Amino acid sequence: MGIEHRKLTNNHYNFAFLDEGSKREIRRATLKAVAIPGYQVPFGSRELPIGRGWGTGGIQLTLSLIGPEDTLKVIDQGSDESVNAVSIKKFVGLCTQVKTTTRTHEATLIQTRHRIPEIPLTQGQILVLQVPIPEPLRIVEAREEITKQMHAEKDYAPIWLQLYESLVKYNKVTIASEYPCMVEGRYVMNPSPIPKFDNPKLHKSSCLYLFGAGREKKIYAIPPHTEVISLAFDDVPFEIESFAGQQCRLCGSGNTYLDEVFDAQTGERFHQCSDTSYCKEVVDHAQ
Amino acid sequence: MISTLTKKNNFDIVFDSQKVFRIILEAMSNPAKIIDLGEHTDDLFCAYPAFLATAMTLLDNEVSYHVCGNDPLAGEIASLTLAKQDRIEAADFVFVFAPDEIEKVISSAKYGTLADPQKSATLIIYDDGDPIHPLTFSGPGIDGFRTIQATSTVKAAITLRDKQEYEYPQGIDFLFISEAGELFAVPRLITVA
Repeated sequence: MGIEHRKLTNNHYNFAFLDEGSKREIRRATLKAVAIPGYQVPFGSRELPIGRGWGTGGIQLTLSLIGPEDTLKVIDQGSDESVNAVSIKKFVGLCTQVKTTTRTHEATLIQTRHRIPEIPLTQGQILVLQVPIPEPLRIVEAREEITKQMHAEKDYAPIWLQLYESLVKYNKVTIASEYPCMVEGRYVMNPSPIPKFDNPKLHKSSCLYLFGAGREKKIYAIPPHTEVISLAFDDVPFEIESFAGQQCRLCGSGNTYLDEVFDAQTGERFHQCSDTSYCKEVVDHAQ
Repeated sequence: MISTLTKKNNFDIVFDSQKVFRIILEAMSNPAKIIDLGEHTDDLFCAYPAFLATAMTLLDNEVSYHVCGNDPLAGEIASLTLAKQDRIEAADFVFVFAPDEIEKVISSAKYGTLADPQKSATLIIYDDGDPIHPLTFSGPGIDGFRTIQATSTVKAAITLRDKQEYEYPQGIDFLFISEAGELFAVPRLITVA
């Protein structure tokens, strides 16, 4: 299989671009991340032909995971067709020749920025999330050595205080994305800039979630069937965004995460599904 | 005199490593799920191909290892991965073939710190014997409970680990591999009912 696949791949690069030493280091960090859910494992982030902060952590994870038998899907803000998603898919395709898809259920490996697909992921699927700022405590403490110690001591008082201040000031928690959550009752984790709407999908999921932060050089993970609870007070429960009364203008769905689109010429506002492949499948199914 | 050189191992460091890694990742993500590693180690010609394949997938000159009870494998790993052999107390990976050494290994293996729990050992243990002990596991990666028939080696290793009373996130992670190449993992958070 290996030799046959070598003939198909680009001779100018190793399979999956990274050298094998780099893949091994990322793989070791990934296994530790799975063993310690929610803990940010440091790793030696590699240079890639795109700038750090543009998904290099997710790409490095994808490149160290991917094999000839995988089917890859890449999404950006729920869309299969955005520049970031298409560029990453082309790049990985160039140096692996793996099959790509836009259908969530067909993919074995999904790289995503800022969304979790609407269709529940299944056992065996791996979702790789690109993370710009992995440290959930960064907003309350700028120094890395201090946040590391806070995690070690499970000292999460400042992040609770931030939620409380938000309640006092605005009467609600105003964090829209990157809403912190507690993993297995031990680590507060940044779920990457997914909307609050997607946080419940992390809890007791059937798939494996891997998070890669290339610029910040961290990898963390949520194995399947792991407890992931969004931070909330007993008397102020966690709430997701409400789209009550709204539905997708294309497929009519009313239970998905909707993007608001504004037409500057007509002044019209309308909503449509953020997950484009889900939306298309609903439309296709209806026809 | 003309000697014939034969290629000892055809293990593809790119493609076979990737497959073996995905199997180990699946095992770590789904603790106590038994997964067959054997079919991916056919290209390795040694006494314990599944162990050597695991070593070739995870080890290189950036990590250290220790082998208890199998000197030939220790040499093979050194020559094929360039990883450093080290004391049990300092090794990142410890391969255990001698059941009577499990207690010493578990009490000595590094278990990380509260700030750096990843600086802990992964124990790769030869799982030999009859699977006569039903063990029920629970924890992250398991939907409720998972029961398997385990050997005395597995039971002893987990009992000895629990006796250490590591303060999570400190701890050690187990990979158990049988001679036939059947593998399952017990990461540090997994408990036995």
